[in-house]
Amino acid sequence: MINDFEHFTPKTLKEALALLAKYGDDCKVICGGQSLLILMRQGLVSPKYIVDIKGISELSYIKDDKDGVKIGATTTHRAVEKSAVIKKKYPVLAEMETRLASVQTRNWGTIGGNVCHGDPAGDPVPVLIALNATLTVAGARGTRSIPVENFSLDYFEVDLKDGELLAEITIPPPPPRTGAVYTKFNIIESDLATVSVAASVTLGAGDGVCQDVRIALGAVAPTAIRAKKAEKVLKGKKITDALLKEAGEVAATETEPISDIYASEEYRLELVKALVPRMTKEALARAKKA
Amino acid sequence: MSDYSVIGKRVHNIDGTEKVTGSGKYTFDVVLPNMLYGKILRSPHPHAKILKIDTRRAKRLVGVKAVVTGKDTLGRKQGIWRRFPELCDEEILCRAKVRYIGDAVAAVAAIDEDTAEEALDLIDVEYEPLPAVFDPMDAIKEDAPQIHEGVELNININRHIEWGDVDEAFEKCDHIREDKFKCSSQAHVCMETHDAVASFGHNGKLEVWTSSQSSYYIQRLYADMLDMNESDIRVTNRHTGGGFGSKFELDSAQFCAAILSQKLCQPVKIVLTREEEFTATKRRTPMYYFLKLGAKKDGTMLAKEVRVITEGGAYTAMGATALYLTGFFSSFPYKYPNYRYDGYRVYTNTATTSAMRGFGAPQSTFVGESQIDMMAEDLGIDPVEIRRKNGMTPNYEVPGQAFIQSCGLHQCLDKIEEHIEKRGKLPPNHGIGVSAYGFMSGGIFNWFNTPYAFSAAVVRINIDGKVDVYTGTCDMGQGSNTTLAMICAEELGVRLEDVRMFSGDTGICPPDLGAWGSRQTLMGGNAVKMAAAECKQQLIEFTAAKMGVNIVYDLDIKDRWVHLVDRPERGVSYFDIVKEAIRGKDGVAIMGRGHYTPHRKGMISPAYSFGVQAAEVEVDPETGRYKLVNVTTAHESGTVINPVGIEGQLEGAIMMAGGYGFCEDQPMDEGKILNPSIADYKLIRSLDMPETDILEIDTYEPEGPFGAKEAGEGLTNPTAGAIGNAVYKAVGVRIYDLPITPEKVFKALKEKEKQQKKAKK
Ligand SMILES: Cc1cc2nc3c(=O)[nH]c(=O)nc-3n(C[C@H](O)[C@H](O)[C@H](O)COP(=O)(O)OP(=O)(O)OC[C@H]3O[C@@H](n4cnc5c(N)ncnc54)[C@H](O)[C@@H]3O)c2cc1C
Repeated sequence: MINDFEHFTPKTLKEALALLAKYGDDCKVICGGQSLLILMRQGLVSPKYIVDIKGISELSYIKDDKDGVKIGATTTHRAVEKSAVIKKKYPVLAEMETRLASVQTRNWGTIGGNVCHGDPAGDPVPVLIALNATLTVAGARGTRSIPVENFSLDYFEVDLKDGELLAEITIPPPPPRTGAVYTKFNIIESDLATVSVAASVTLGAGDGVCQDVRIALGAVAPTAIRAKKAEKVLKGKKITDALLKEAGEVAATETEPISDIYASEEYRLELVKALVPRMTKEALARAKKA
Repeated sequence: MSDYSVIGKRVHNIDGTEKVTGSGKYTFDVVLPNMLYGKILRSPHPHAKILKIDTRRAKRLVGVKAVVTGKDTLGRKQGIWRRFPELCDEEILCRAKVRYIGDAVAAVAAIDEDTAEEALDLIDVEYEPLPAVFDPMDAIKEDAPQIHEGVELNININRHIEWGDVDEAFEKCDHIREDKFKCSSQAHVCMETHDAVASFGHNGKLEVWTSSQSSYYIQRLYADMLDMNESDIRVTNRHTGGGFGSKFELDSAQFCAAILSQKLCQPVKIVLTREEEFTATKRRTPMYYFLKLGAKKDGTMLAKEVRVITEGGAYTAMGATALYLTGFFSSFPYKYPNYRYDGYRVYTNTATTSAMRGFGAPQSTFVGESQIDMMAEDLGIDPVEIRRKNGMTPNYEVPGQAFIQSCGLHQCLDKIEEHIEKRGKLPPNHGIGVSAYGFMSGGIFNWFNTPYAFSAAVVRINIDGKVDVYTGTCDMGQGSNTTLAMICAEELGVRLEDVRMFSGDTGICPPDLGAWGSRQTLMGGNAVKMAAAECKQQLIEFTAAKMGVNIVYDLDIKDRWVHLVDRPERGVSYFDIVKEAIRGKDGVAIMGRGHYTPHRKGMISPAYSFGVQAAEVEVDPETGRYKLVNVTTAHESGTVINPVGIEGQLEGAIMMAGGYGFCEDQPMDEGKILNPSIADYKLIRSLDMPETDILEIDTYEPEGPFGAKEAGEGLTNPTAGAIGNAVYKAVGVRIYDLPITPEKVFKALKEKEKQQKKAKK
């Protein structure tokens, strides 16, 4: 049973921030409601006030700027999936969206809501980590920016203080000779990930050496994580199958998976070992073609 | 017999438009004046004594109209095996003891659902937790807690089936295999949860609208539990949003709504939540299976011995039937000259296990079809060949048990063999597994103890020639109203759109046992056909008299034209004849009655359908993840009444049985189901569906209406076995416990790798 609450529908970011400042702790932001309503129905969250930001048009956009592509926090998954700019510059992001839930959920759910929900099994965050995205958080006293990989703190906990909102996601322009991929392992298509892997590989000019690599993993720790040690195995080298295998093994040591009804801890580790090499190899292939 | 004008045509369900537009009314949609809403309080303990229930705080809540507990009932126990009082063991509202997490202890009626739910929190129940037992293997131990008083070793029921001399036959076998399997549970996951609106009037009569598969059973069970006359209870089944075996026993929504309504003389509606649906209704029976199979070198199977221990859960329900049928269908679809089955159903402190589509046969088919493939491999025989060698044929008697008239198993095997050949050489890590099965067309058993015919129908022709069919059968979404309307239209010689169905309403329809055990096409169909034939006979008699035809001529009606069979152009309009005939009968509508009860058809069923399925999977050997690529089914169900209906059954069955084989499960912790939501309970969805194909084999069942027989549940039987066999073909690992999850495949692959390494050393 959902508790009674007061519902506000601010039309501007300023109004929203004012409401958040006023109601503080008793208040919760809602956007698409695809995650929050589930928690409320289960009685896990019972806010007295709800600030509904879905109608704030100034937060819904996809802009192509010189310092990257900017996505407003209330942009729906579906809008990201269908965006021509995203498809062209970060095809991996659009591909990820096609496997996120169902069209109905993507029509309502927002990329900002997803990131703020802090689900370690969420799809967008690993991809955004691999793409080196930055978040812009707005508060009563102005804005601050934070790399997406530092934003998630724990299970369903993100670095937002009372009165703050996520306003924007910025993805820097992809460096030349870069390929990025994402996959999630799940039992039922379009379901949440049992394990997910995003990888981005940047090759040096003409030498085929891995100049940069970013590997992000979902559903194997309290937050989505970056497998930095695994990246080190590959960085500055010519990627071989043996190195990839090693990277997979190393990545597994960086995780702290749990056992649940969908998969055991050991199986999740094995999936990391299998999927990290496979996805990094795919990213490499894309980088070669880029 | 292709001169049918209605049968065999591709038609959409007659209620399809209502349903897809959302205008069709389900019990969920029923709203009555002064209606209250009910909620049920359930036990959080798997096993506990109820020391005290204090409802005073709840009763004081504004908006609450009544709170009831077991004390407000007659204290009777319901059970669908009514011939055996000791198997009627479920109070529904528990008085002294709860036996699983979800057992009902109290119910509230209030002005709205929120108030009712709030009131549940205000009911104080004092429990004394008792030691509990969850696994049947533990429950049969000497020192296990006793779940039902006086039931030793918690053995609820045991069944024995035997023919031939099994022990002697094993001596003659060249090869014997012994294998152990475990079959998991499965939830029905109907779109419409269990629900009921019960209205007890000041006239002392009870009217109930409910989502059900058998209005007659519900009516009768109400009569037992409330000590009322059957005829003072009217149960109406509107559109039903799925049943799959979950909706033909009196359930907590129905019972609590009635008890509350009885107290208040006001209608009360209870709709179970999805969580209650998962945790506090019944489910498919998990089974431990021990198989011993013996064969000659040439693949002739001489003997089979089967031992089964099932997880019964808290109460008997239809579990006793599942226990029997899994034993009977363990012999299917083969001619074992020697066969022995011993099955034990064991009470546990878990949600009750009962009927679910396939009714014990998906379990027996998974284990049996897995083992027969292993036997074939041991003997170096092709899997299709070993099935051909031992498969049932027409006019076969299962010794002392059943007589099989029509049987197209061998044609199905041929078709599947062709299909496999056509797929050609498969890409790496692909495999095709086959699985053969059979199923019944309705049960002959009468443990329910009905004094009525198993099926009955009344057909009435109105002055405008339109036809009303009254039958106690229930359309739960499987399309039986369409099938029965087609049978009526064909028999009577009118068009499908001339027929209107009134079904599942005990107030106006003759009793019928309802929609379970795949009985409605054959049994309900025979009753409807007979009633329609009686109407037709009256029209023909009248026409013969009116036309003054020579006595040597036969008359018939086809497509609204009453005519001489040998000279079809000589005839009269059906509509004109109806008008005149009614006038001639002093204004009484034309009526016909029909009924059907199987006689001299053995102990199980009047007819059996058969099929063979081939499932193709693609396995990712690095993760164990596999995809269902293609599922092709060669299928025979006698005359096909409606091809669209069969395709719907097939696709639905692959979704359900594929889920059973691949991912559906109800993991528990100390009796608590851990995934009681659609988010957590993994079902195959549209994106996961393989490509499916059906190869229909032409057969004719003499006992069925126009030669038709079962086409509903049987299709749920083969898939898990076919998947298991396909995974084995693809990557060489055998999974013995359902569901065959990628993680299990992965672990088996690792184990195999280890063994191979060891062998090399
Ligand atoms: C059936 C179903 C399937 C799903 N499958 C997937 C899946 O496969 N993969 C996946 O990743 N996700 C999945 N989800 C989750 C869902 O798509 C996202 O979590 C959802 O899009 C969140 O967005 P929202 O706008 O609905 O957020 P809401 O539910 O409105 O909010 C979620 C949380 O974020 C906070 N919040 C929202 N916006 C902001 C903001 N701008 N600033 C600060 N805080 C904010 C809210 O307070 C709340 O705590 C699924 C959901 C459903 C219902």
